Amino acid sequence: MSAHVLVVVPAWNEGASVADVVSDLRRHGYDVAVVDDGSTDDTAAQARSAGATVLTLPINLGVGGALRCGFRYAVEHGYDMVVQCDADGQHPADEIAAVLDAQARTGAHLVIGSRFRGDEPGMDVPGNRRLAMRLLARIASTAAGRPITDASSGLRAIARPLLDEFARSYPVHYLGDTFEAIVVAGRAGYRVEEVAVTMAPRLSGQSSARPLAALVFLGRAVIVSLGGLGFEVRRAEVSEPTGVDERRPTGRRRRQP
Amino acid sequence: MSAAFRQGALIALGGVLLGIAAITLARKRLITLRYAVGWLAVGIVTLVGAAAAPLVTPIAKLFSMTATGVLLAGATGLMVAIAIQLSISVSGLQAQVRELAEAHALLANRLDELETRAPADA
Repeated sequence: MSAHVLVVVPAWNEGASVADVVSDLRRHGYDVAVVDDGSTDDTAAQARSAGATVLTLPINLGVGGALRCGFRYAVEHGYDMVVQCDADGQHPADEIAAVLDAQARTGAHLVIGSRFRGDEPGMDVPGNRRLAMRLLARIASTAAGRPITDASSGLRAIARPLLDEFARSYPVHYLGDTFEAIVVAGRAGYRVEEVAVTMAPRLSGQSSARPLAALVFLGRAVIVSLGGLGFEVRRAEVSEPTGVDERRPTGRRRRQP
Repeated sequence: MSAAFRQGALIALGGVLLGIAAITLARKRLITLRYAVGWLAVGIVTLVGAAAAPLVTPIAKLFSMTATGVLLAGATGLMVAIAIQLSISVSGLQAQVRELAEAHALLANRLDELETRAPADA
């Protein structure tokens, strides 16, 4: 039985690209929810005209806030899984199938689409940023209990029951929705997998990743990693699917809310 | 007039000004009563402390400090406590704002769905 999948697209002032992204996703047969994160342009109208359900946040919450809103919508509407996808066209709809296939094959709760795992050279990332990404990947790998090469990838699938947990608690700060989500999920005993994907250049606009913010986040990442200060999710009730390697939860017990 | 007296008077003046500022801001509804009381308490403690500076002298000697230094350290400690309390309040408010914004978006979508469906049901 195939999973009921919702593609959640957080969008902040992405009016120039969101319609193309939604149209591409709809052509592939996906249900799409665009979360308009307090945009001041016509992002919501463009997304709606392209066939997406639009959730309009009255203020800008950041990617994590927009995603949690999308997760809540998915849970309320009975979806089994969410694929999160950027609104700038970097995540081609074709690649979502690879992420979903990996999830179906492994039964993972969180599947990351990695730019650095495949045979192709991947995206051109400057040296200092690549170094930071390697550091994050190493910390994420330790938490997940398996190699993670692209901890800051925004293309990922989240399956229940982890989806219910993320709908309840999800960070809003810079990159917390990517790296920190892996660390917290891995430590709470959820199964995290990674699959190679190919990403495209942005259709419009510029990345919101600023060097200073990235530096601050790196510091935060180390603190989160060493101090166990990530957001809280309830531990997984471990029931590993057959045909995959068994793994015991690696994290320490977290306080129940 | 001794240096200790002048320093005490200056600290007392600071306490009075802080109290006046807290009351003024509260009357203009710029801060809530909760925080006005907190800042007023800091002002009163500073004022009383300045008046009772001689009583602090034994403690100051214990730590090789002046009485004025002990009073300022006390006032600073109170302000740090208030700042930490404010950080806790702001963090809670941020979480509440986020909850409200998300609930607003989900409810607006639900309303759209119902309004879209309504003509067909009528």
